[in-house]
Amino acid sequence: MADAAQGDTGSVAGVDRRPFEDFIVHEARLLDARRFRDWMGLFAEDGTYWVPAVPNQPSPLDQASLFYDDRDLMKTRIDRLEHPRIHVQTPPSRTAHLVGNVVVDAADDAKGEYLVGSTVIMVEYREDRQRLFAGRQQHRLRRDGASFRIVQKRVDLINCDSAFEAMAVPI
Amino acid sequence: MLDRTDEIGRLIEPGRVHRRVYTDPEIFELEMERIFGRAWLFVGHASQVPKPGDYLTTELGRQPVIMTRHHDGSVHVLLNRCTHRGPKVVNERCGHATRLVCCYHGWTFDMDGTLVGVPVPEGCAAGFRKEEFGLARAPRTGVYRGFVFASLSSDGPSFEDHIGPMKGNIDDLVDRAPDGELAFDAGMHRYAYDGNWKLQIENVLDSYHVPFGHASTVNKDGVQFARREGDSKGAAVIASDKKSTAASWKDRKSYIAGNGHGWTSNTALDEGKRSSPTFDAYKRSLADKVGAARAEQILTPRLHNSLIYPNMSIMGLNIHVRVIKPIAVDRTEVNIFPVRLVGAPAAMNSANIRLLNVTHAAASFVQTDDLESFARAQKGLRSTASPWVDISRGLGDEEPDRELNATREFATHEMVVRAQYKAWSGYMREAV
Repeated sequence: MADAAQGDTGSVAGVDRRPFEDFIVHEARLLDARRFRDWMGLFAEDGTYWVPAVPNQPSPLDQASLFYDDRDLMKTRIDRLEHPRIHVQTPPSRTAHLVGNVVVDAADDAKGEYLVGSTVIMVEYREDRQRLFAGRQQHRLRRDGASFRIVQKRVDLINCDSAFEAMAVPI
Repeated sequence: MLDRTDEIGRLIEPGRVHRRVYTDPEIFELEMERIFGRAWLFVGHASQVPKPGDYLTTELGRQPVIMTRHHDGSVHVLLNRCTHRGPKVVNERCGHATRLVCCYHGWTFDMDGTLVGVPVPEGCAAGFRKEEFGLARAPRTGVYRGFVFASLSSDGPSFEDHIGPMKGNIDDLVDRAPDGELAFDAGMHRYAYDGNWKLQIENVLDSYHVPFGHASTVNKDGVQFARREGDSKGAAVIASDKKSTAASWKDRKSYIAGNGHGWTSNTALDEGKRSSPTFDAYKRSLADKVGAARAEQILTPRLHNSLIYPNMSIMGLNIHVRVIKPIAVDRTEVNIFPVRLVGAPAAMNSANIRLLNVTHAAASFVQTDDLESFARAQKGLRSTASPWVDISRGLGDEEPDRELNATREFATHEMVVRAQYKAWSGYMREAV
């Protein structure tokens, strides 16, 4: 896999980042539209969604995480988000994601595997309160026809180890 | 004046509690002094400071403390306040040091709190004695199977008197580790809510709220999502008529054994055999150490949740320890530690950690609906429509359990909450 040079702020040489950026923006828009089932559909069957609970967390398997969902858990999470008596979403959250600073950190065209870094800001509004989430994202993507499937989405929130009020929707 | 004991006494009646207990800042101040200022509080687990020089910081009530491992291996609970001008001496949540140095003027303390260095010592006043300026220590500490407790008061019931009735509940968790010890090294979940600390304490043993409060985790067949490694399905919560609480849930019992402590018996989830490659490998690892019969006994579900009043709970069901931290009358933080069963296969500990993400993280499926209920309770209690909060379910139905030396009742009743307020009154009516 071709890695971006250490300290380089640009993408891997010769890789057009636009299709990756389009994909990640599309993903963010699905979340903002609360199209959670379509969002889940972006993940590969072996895909995972991970939000660590400490900075630079090496693994989701030996420490607590805010989110660490495989497809099964994602489905349970979304069943719940669609349940009429999910109290913590009565009324529901409204969110606006902003995704930027997209960089293709590594690319393996032969295998069709890519590592894409970006910065995310999500503003969430619910019940007269607005709060801000911000952090770095890393998408491990696999080419799937003309688009991609997510093998892993990792979101490292800058305040990942703080005490959070209830978080009902994915970032 | 609020500290008149007769006035405090009038806030608690059989089967009801005055709303001010949750909303009055003056009562909260008194709780910090009379409950958190002297009760035995859980501080941390010895495994969080495994090596000499290790430390962690936390709060007892609102008071910042440091738990350290001294060079001689002993564990100390020190007040995190420089004895010179008052800054917190240690600012990190955990770490390792040979000395603790205040950032302001550089006063330096040994890991047991002894003052060992004062910059520009020639400026010290005549008669200044370094030995009088060590970091203050929690007046009393007690340790049981690695669980470190402290009291900020030099008198009161002994550690043994307070914790004694709950030792079996601690054993129930620790014994599940093949090596007979726990490690708190799997991070923690932190969540907060705009509500009184007692809302979380009351909820820990509340089996009544589950079918409705956690309705969003129950599927069309009335069964919760499958939770644990080795379970084929989740707990039956709603009966097959789709209208009432499942009998297995209603039949659960809750227990009290004095001091505000309590626990609930095993859940409906424990019906049927628990089996999976990971769980079976764990069971073998336990049996290898303690024998098959003892392993079977340890893994036979007995407890669901245990509350060690006033600031911690233990959940055997999904292997965690919870610490409740009051911040203000209407603000609380909770820390939940997944605990590693030392000697268990890594895959089993991973399964426990992953389960806890789903049930108790700030982004979990279960805890989030509780947080909503706590916040709404705090908002609802602004209403003066009634001064009373009702905790009367099952009042008068309590019965002795001589085998367990406890008092029991159906877990969907509110005996455990009444027991908490009995302990609360005991602390609050007695001036410091």
